[in-house]
Amino acid sequence: MSDVADALISVEGVRKVYGTETTALDGVTLGIEEGSWTNITGPSGSGKTTLLNIIGCLDSPSGGRVVIDGTELTGLGQSELTTFRRENIGLIFQQYHLVPYLTALENVMMAQYFHSVVDEGQARAALERVGLGHRLDHLPAQLSGGEQQRVCIARALINDPKILLADEPTGNLDQRNGRNVLELMEALHREGHTVVVVTHNPDIALMGDRTIEIVDGKVARDTTRKEG
Amino acid sequence: MLMRILAKSLARRRSRIAIAVVAVVIGSAVATSLMSVSMDVEDRVAQEFRRYGANLMVVPRSDTIDVGFPGVQLGSVTEQTYINESDIWRIKTIYWRNNVLGFAPFLYQVVGASADGGPEQDVVMAGTYFGRDVAIVEPYSPDDPTVFRTGVQQISPWWHIEGRWIDASDGSAPALAMVGRNVADKLGATIGTTLRVAYRPLVGAEGSVTERALTVVGIVTTDGAEDNQVFVDLGLAQAMTSRPGKMHTVQVSALCTACPVETFADEIEAKIPNVEGRTVKQLVAAEMDTLRMVEGLMLMVTAVALLASALGVLTTMTASVIERRKEIGLMKAVGAERRLIVALFLAEALVIGALGGVAGFVVGVALSQAIGQGVFGTSISLQILVLPVVLGIGIAVAVLASLLPVRRAVGVEPAIVLRGE
Repeated sequence: MSDVADALISVEGVRKVYGTETTALDGVTLGIEEGSWTNITGPSGSGKTTLLNIIGCLDSPSGGRVVIDGTELTGLGQSELTTFRRENIGLIFQQYHLVPYLTALENVMMAQYFHSVVDEGQARAALERVGLGHRLDHLPAQLSGGEQQRVCIARALINDPKILLADEPTGNLDQRNGRNVLELMEALHREGHTVVVVTHNPDIALMGDRTIEIVDGKVARDTTRKEG
Repeated sequence: MLMRILAKSLARRRSRIAIAVVAVVIGSAVATSLMSVSMDVEDRVAQEFRRYGANLMVVPRSDTIDVGFPGVQLGSVTEQTYINESDIWRIKTIYWRNNVLGFAPFLYQVVGASADGGPEQDVVMAGTYFGRDVAIVEPYSPDDPTVFRTGVQQISPWWHIEGRWIDASDGSAPALAMVGRNVADKLGATIGTTLRVAYRPLVGAEGSVTERALTVVGIVTTDGAEDNQVFVDLGLAQAMTSRPGKMHTVQVSALCTACPVETFADEIEAKIPNVEGRTVKQLVAAEMDTLRMVEGLMLMVTAVALLASALGVLTTMTASVIERRKEIGLMKAVGAERRLIVALFLAEALVIGALGGVAGFVVGVALSQAIGQGVFGTSISLQILVLPVVLGIGIAVAVLASLLPVRRAVGVEPAIVLRGE
């Protein structure tokens, strides 16, 4: 338990109950080290996305304790959770979730705006970094799925978060685009970002340091692929 | 960035926004026409009060004549009856006599007139007093003065006169005339012009053809019926029309803050036989009643229209929030504070309200013209003051109607983007 308490992300006995009967998480305890790549797997409805929501400050647990980078999240209000998320967490979605009427550049700038100040040069650089320097002024509808996911990654990165949370980042992509996205994420991991990925994709599972399998709202298996 | 998001979001949902704007236009247009009509008509009525220095009119009982009383038609003469000039002093002997600031008699007659040998045209000649000393034969109290200087100059000092008033004190008055601005323009008369007036009685009417050459000393501008009349000394008008000692009306200027002007009318009726005292208030009462009725009706229509506007905006904004749940969830997930979401939607409401308010003003002005012509038979002047008020109403309706949808937007959970709902 001391390992859990010392981890960058510390989840202790977390429960999440929807309504009166649906238990999505049932006493999950785990710790995620800084700079690690952790995959969360499990069958549909097992509670892995709920866990990601709670770690990502998008949802609050019904019970238990979550501490991220020394900040106790339990009991924080919506506004405080938003601030914490904005400062520390970058989100990558399966469905990209780009604002359809904003260009690639504006989608990235929007995240800057919500965080602090808009710096177009920095937003351009982020998109160039994900290989979209030539698609800055394109609307999401004019971009391929892989390109949209790369915009989503650029948006997640723009405020330099410590933690990157990804929910099935390659779920909607073909193999080639999926590989490109994973290479990008791997590069970010090497730079020191802590990466947590919810996935069904066995290729991703092979990339992580550790794979946690959630079944029926509980940690069923916790496998570390390599040490150190 | 917020403005960029706002502009692009609005541009993308043009048709939906247009529906909300149209909803606001309806309410704003009705509100505009209500305000324009009531302000304009009230202005006009107030102007008539002001323009008509006298606030009480004494007319022969049962006689109705068209005197061009500001904004009021009294009908046509059916049976000529007159007020005797010899009774006029009695007006100054009522209980409230000290509050009678002045009075002026009027005798009207259509005459032929020409200036400096030009073509003759029909004009209304009004015989009246120009500052005459009226003897108070039986004062109300022995302490009261026995002479009262009065006339049209005393009751209508605000008339704009080019040239000068006729001076009744030196005996030259019967040779002089003051002409209304429109008459002067029509006849080509200026100060110093010789005005020939000719009275030709209708067949069977009393009197004979009489002509006079008068010198124009003043041109009168009041923007009222006076602009179409020629003013001469009452005695001259009586002599020309063979109606010595007669007059059609007496206009009285009564100032009383402690008593209703109606009491003046009652007292005058008691003092002078066979006359009727009518207050300006009574004379414009019909117009005011119509105005109140139209205002009441329009107030109701405005309330209903604004309610419809609010419902239109509410529906559109609610649909917009439902449609954009994921977008809102995403913005929150990416770090947007609740106040930013509120600002985004309220700014949208503000734009809808402002566009609807301005367009509603334009439509409302046209609507008020239609109402003005249809109900009051007059055009309604553009009341620019209404614009900021209607703009405010449009924005307020749109913003208030958006509060519920905005609350709904703020309540969207950011987790929705991960749940893939």
